[in-house]
Amino acid sequence: MISTKNIRFSYSKEQEFIFPDLYCEAGSTLLITGDSGKGKTTYLHILAGLLSPTTGEISIDNTNIVLLSEKRTDRFRGKHIGVVFQKSHFIAALTVLENLEMASWLATGKKHTKRAKKLLTQLGIEEQASKLPAQLSIGQQQRVSIARALMNEPKVLLADEPTSSLDDKNAEKVIELLTSLSKEYKAALLIVTHDNRIKEKFINKITLV
Amino acid sequence: MITKLAWKNIWFKPLNTVLSVILLTSSVAIITTLILVEKQFEEKFSSNIENVDLVLGAQGSPLQLILSSVYQVDTPTGNISFDSAKVWMNHPFVEKAIPLAFGDNYRGYKILGTTTDYLAKYNAKVTEGVLFDKNFEVVLGSDIAQKLTLQVGDEFYGSHGDAEEGEVHDDYPYKVVGIASKTGKVVDNLILCALPTVWQMHHGHEENPAHGEEGHIHVEGEHDHDHEHEEADLTIDEPNMEITAVLLKIRNQMAKLTWQRVIPQNTKMQAVSPAFEVNRLFGLFGIGVTALQYLAYGIMLISGISIFIALYTTLKEREGEFALLRVNGARRFQLLQIVMIESLLLCVIGFVFGSLLGRVALSMLSNASEADFKMSFDPYTFLWQKEGVLFVVTLLVGCIAALIPAIKAYRLNISKTLANA
Repeated sequence: MISTKNIRFSYSKEQEFIFPDLYCEAGSTLLITGDSGKGKTTYLHILAGLLSPTTGEISIDNTNIVLLSEKRTDRFRGKHIGVVFQKSHFIAALTVLENLEMASWLATGKKHTKRAKKLLTQLGIEEQASKLPAQLSIGQQQRVSIARALMNEPKVLLADEPTSSLDDKNAEKVIELLTSLSKEYKAALLIVTHDNRIKEKFINKITLV
Repeated sequence: MITKLAWKNIWFKPLNTVLSVILLTSSVAIITTLILVEKQFEEKFSSNIENVDLVLGAQGSPLQLILSSVYQVDTPTGNISFDSAKVWMNHPFVEKAIPLAFGDNYRGYKILGTTTDYLAKYNAKVTEGVLFDKNFEVVLGSDIAQKLTLQVGDEFYGSHGDAEEGEVHDDYPYKVVGIASKTGKVVDNLILCALPTVWQMHHGHEENPAHGEEGHIHVEGEHDHDHEHEEADLTIDEPNMEITAVLLKIRNQMAKLTWQRVIPQNTKMQAVSPAFEVNRLFGLFGIGVTALQYLAYGIMLISGISIFIALYTTLKEREGEFALLRVNGARRFQLLQIVMIESLLLCVIGFVFGSLLGRVALSMLSNASEADFKMSFDPYTFLWQKEGVLFVVTLLVGCIAALIPAIKAYRLNISKTLANA
């Protein structure tokens, strides 16, 4: 469950973003759309605690993360927020499985290898577990990102343009996986996108203007 | 886990890693070898001059006299008359005087005519057999006994002079009567016999013309007999004999200084202080050691720069990776740790390989110096203090090299990095 109130943010004095309040239940999906430059990614980073808003509240499971110190934000993010990026980032030197283990170790101090393997199986990429991320196709990489975002069974799953670099087939598959898995893991799913292919699929939408 | 990640990261770019490790290894190897050689060299040189205040020998290079008579690494400056040496040896200022006479060698190992005091000076005890007493009886240094596998009771023929290929004295065999204990000093690589043995062996050679004449007549007189046994053995009191040098321990402090001037002025001999000459030698030697040390630290500096460049250039491509770690809950400090540990791991690897390589180099050096100078180094000792300092210096290089990249990783703006990707 995630909700926000009166979020404002500015990179400089001339330009200030005023973001609409949002609310998303565990297991349901909210789409955030809008044209380029309207602050979609900025909003997502604020929701992930990567940027601090100038004012406002973000409540995730009754914790206002705006008030947390940087160190505690890092911990909170690791444990309760999963993020899927437009372009997949990986630790290039680690295998797919080790990348997942690292995500869970950083947040909880445990590797949770079983869960990592289960997620890879659910996403249909269990054969790639011992490969390096660079050896995977872009579609497969994106699935690994989803697996990693879900590793710590987060309360909130944030996806930043998860489909923009994928073809139609892969995009559809990724969206399907995101929605079904977030339901299964009871995470509130927020997707930031300008991808028209997926806009029609969702009822809950916020458009930034 | 952080260390594991750092470990995987350094091997993900093997060329960078190998370059840094090679540079570190070579500098650590050079320094380790220098530390060990310098220490053991000084130890060997200093331990051998214990209880020797002055060396009395023929005039010539003082350093050569010390090297030949104390360390057995150079040729002697010449011979001196035993009779005129005795004047000084019996002087009341002298606490102990050990005469030395070089004669032959056996397979490159020097046969040294002396008194039993020589063994006592090095605290060498006869562990097997007895001390030499009669002529042609010898006591072997422990290393020789081992290397040449000679035992008490064995006999062998020496070759003249200090060259292995010298003329073989096949009239008189040496007989091994004892084997000395290991001392770690030059005595381990010497074959010791009584002073008159050397005279008798060369009896008839031009070194002792007066005596040679005499002996010759004697031999002719008893022509039919086996002259080895019939001839009267020479003794230590034989007049007109020559020796090579005398090691003196002096009671009187003033004499130590004055004799160095008085003896060359009034006789054909010189008296040299080994401590002074050895310091002079270390001085000469020290320049080379210092130059090599600078070189090695120079290489270490370059390896530091190489680590810095490797970390700094890959930092750009790893920004995404670092941002990701932060998204997954890593703290800023953990990013700093990763970069630091990567650099330190390189340093530790370099240090371990360098220490090993240095010891391999030292054992090779030891074999070479063993063959040339009968001086060996022990590569298996570990000098905790100096090598500890080297280890700390190596780690420090790693820390400094990683400092700027680590701080950059610490300060990384994740949001910006992810937005621009």
